[in-house]
Amino acid sequence: MAPTLCAMCKTQRALIKRPKNHAKLCKACFITIFEDEVHHTITSSNLFFPGEKVAIGASGGKDSTVLASVLKTLNERHGYGLDLVLLSIDEGIKGYRDDSLETVKRNALQYEMPLKIVGYDELYGWTMDQVVETIGKKGNCTYCGVFRRQALDRGAKMLGIKHVVTGHNADDVAETVLMNLLRGDLSRLSRSTSIVTGDSGSEVKRSKPLKYSYEKEIVLYAHHKKLDYFSTECIYSPEAFRGSARSLIKQLERVRPSAILDIVRSGEDMSRLVPRESSSSCGGCKTTPVASAPAVEDDIGGCGSRNGRTPGGEMAAMDKQLIENEAYERLEIDVASTMARNKATQNEKPKDIPIRNGGSKAATRQVLGNCKRCGYMSSHDICQACTLLEGLNKNRPQIQI
Amino acid sequence: MDEVTKPAVAGGSLVRPCTKCWAQEATLDSRSHAVCRDCFAKFISTKCIKQIAILGKETRAPGGPPAASSTGASTSPRRYLLGLSLGVSSSVLLHLLNENVEFQLAKGRNAPFELTVVHIDVSSSLVPTSTSTSTSTSTSTSTASAPAAALEKYRQRYPRFDFQCVPLSAIFGLRTVDWSKLPDVQNINTTAPSPPSQDQNQQQEQKLRQLFDGLASAAARTDVLRLLVRHVLVAAARDGGCQALLLGHSTTALAELTLAETAKGRGFALPWLVNDGLLPVVEYEYHDSGTAAAARNSDGPAATAASMLVYHPLRDALRKELVTYATLTAPPLTALISDAPDAAVATSSNGGNGAGAVVSHKDLSIEEVMVRYFAEVETNYASVVANVARTTGKLVRLDNNGTGTGEDGNGARCGLCGMPLDEQGDERWRGELGEAKDDQLLSSSGRICYGCERSTRG
Repeated sequence: MAPTLCAMCKTQRALIKRPKNHAKLCKACFITIFEDEVHHTITSSNLFFPGEKVAIGASGGKDSTVLASVLKTLNERHGYGLDLVLLSIDEGIKGYRDDSLETVKRNALQYEMPLKIVGYDELYGWTMDQVVETIGKKGNCTYCGVFRRQALDRGAKMLGIKHVVTGHNADDVAETVLMNLLRGDLSRLSRSTSIVTGDSGSEVKRSKPLKYSYEKEIVLYAHHKKLDYFSTECIYSPEAFRGSARSLIKQLERVRPSAILDIVRSGEDMSRLVPRESSSSCGGCKTTPVASAPAVEDDIGGCGSRNGRTPGGEMAAMDKQLIENEAYERLEIDVASTMARNKATQNEKPKDIPIRNGGSKAATRQVLGNCKRCGYMSSHDICQACTLLEGLNKNRPQIQI
Repeated sequence: MDEVTKPAVAGGSLVRPCTKCWAQEATLDSRSHAVCRDCFAKFISTKCIKQIAILGKETRAPGGPPAASSTGASTSPRRYLLGLSLGVSSSVLLHLLNENVEFQLAKGRNAPFELTVVHIDVSSSLVPTSTSTSTSTSTSTSTASAPAAALEKYRQRYPRFDFQCVPLSAIFGLRTVDWSKLPDVQNINTTAPSPPSQDQNQQQEQKLRQLFDGLASAAARTDVLRLLVRHVLVAAARDGGCQALLLGHSTTALAELTLAETAKGRGFALPWLVNDGLLPVVEYEYHDSGTAAAARNSDGPAATAASMLVYHPLRDALRKELVTYATLTAPPLTALISDAPDAAVATSSNGGNGAGAVVSHKDLSIEEVMVRYFAEVETNYASVVANVARTTGKLVRLDNNGTGTGEDGNGARCGLCGMPLDEQGDERWRGELGEAKDDQLLSSSGRICYGCERSTRG
């Protein structure tokens, strides 16, 4: 039997079945089309401007390594005129970062890019190992995620850079869409799919050029380009909503490879369906204190090669909170939802009943301001990082005898 | 559960008194409360009746007297159609509706509504032509099909209602599907090697089987099947002069639907699919009255004729609660319910899926993945399941212009699923994703939605 030829060049032997659509391609054509698609994403969304200084959030993992490699290639090939810098965060997890930071250092040499490493200890006075020592293994990913998000932005600011690109891929975005559906968090759902996050109010713009790239193709690309990356997962990563969503996505991908992209598409479309007023409809927000640990401030946290997973037991915590809410709800007469439902289907004018809890469904709209302590953008007086730090610092005397 | 303050006397002698009535032994767990059988059953029926009451207000004849007046002579009786899959949820819904009618009649009132129960028989159309290894039905259409027999048992138990068994092939008589947009279906008439002796019915069945054989995957077959069943149900409701179509979806089923449709790229249509309300129905004009003949190719083949109220009265009950409820009725509903866990979902080509059986992923549908996933979530985190459906309920129904609600049915709709087309989203997607040369999906004609393209051209 003659070997299957590449569907694109029709001359070389097809060695790769594209995970995205099962097209059979040769190695060279796969690498070309992968890069072309990223290029298209970049140009169609006008991600960069010539001369822009861009920091690549580099963890040493496959996603950020591929991102650095692809951006370098495209920058040279298409003359983006970008000034690319690698920016790494050292969370201070022994045995995890030590090795991956070595990888990033090698990447810096390989790609001839300057490298800046920012440590949690520098920024917050705490390494992740110390955090774990204090609060235990449960829930520490919240700290890590919150700290990291700011760390990248602060590191960029230090370097005078206004744009950070991260290696989030299509799987990550799809995962976030499903996760936010499971969490019932419409505001995050509407934010998470956009390629650029951090609006005019924030000093540092963030984008994810690999948003439409399949994780499996990123691995293939790294493999065939023989990229030097580090593949160990965060040793503290627990199971949670994200883990649950991730395993679901993997199953869906096996059933229908296009499912990942289809979820991204759904997520983008649904973000336009989110009513403007209901900013946060997560189960915990109706009654004041949220039982579940404070979630990561924005769309996607980052945890090394795997993206930050929210604390273990989060699902159970939310379940509990929802049950409590329901118990309270029973004590009220649910006029609002009945009327809303009536209104949705018939265009009669609503009956004149004074609605006591009319506005209760729509939580207060988040207003973006700045943290009073560190000046970082936040929808609260004190940003999450500072809140978390306060809690940590209270406990410090106990561990530092 | 309403926490009733514990009466001083009652419940004292019980080992584990029901936390609701304090009068009986609690034998069941209902949302982390120990309850007795009666209170559990009442809890479920209240959830259903609440929704039926909302629908009742919705379908009140305009200008008629308030529903409270018992002798509503001037209001014509409400008429609903219940889609019965023969699974647990829709069977429970049927039982609850019957209970509701009996309750009203016992109080000397008129029946609150008339009900037609329709089962769409998909049994013969889904057996692949090549592998007719299934248990009994596939070829012999002369004997009554298994679903028809099953339906007979329902008919005997609920004689008050009108029961119908409609074959899925009835879809070919409908004008609500734009067949010209289904590439594999257009040629079925010409390519069908059907012996001349076959009667019309068998030809239709044959055609249907070819339609499904032409779809690329189990995921696509299950998806299209669900859409076709919906079309036939809506048509039956319209033909029967019904004001609303009732579906048995539980909270869990709606959560599954939400995530499944998201995974199939129909996020834009979710508010139309999951929420209760008015669903516009589009009809396409055909040159001849022939069934699968080409629809007119011009831009305006559609005549937006009508709309149908679609309601999910069990939207506040979990599937596991309905499964429990089915054992509590006298006699238990379990005797009626067919083996498939939920026929609406489990009817993909691999037959009634053995629960937990290991199947190749190629033979799984997106729906089945979701059923498995939520079965697990429901066990441990029931409120999370409920929250998914509630969240989807907050999404806004947009029409394809991106503004306002498209409840009136203005604007183009998908020729297969009937949902609004998301032209804005299509445009953006094409722009951002780029033109992969081999990808036909992106060169959409704009008359079929993204999700339906995936399933038909997949």
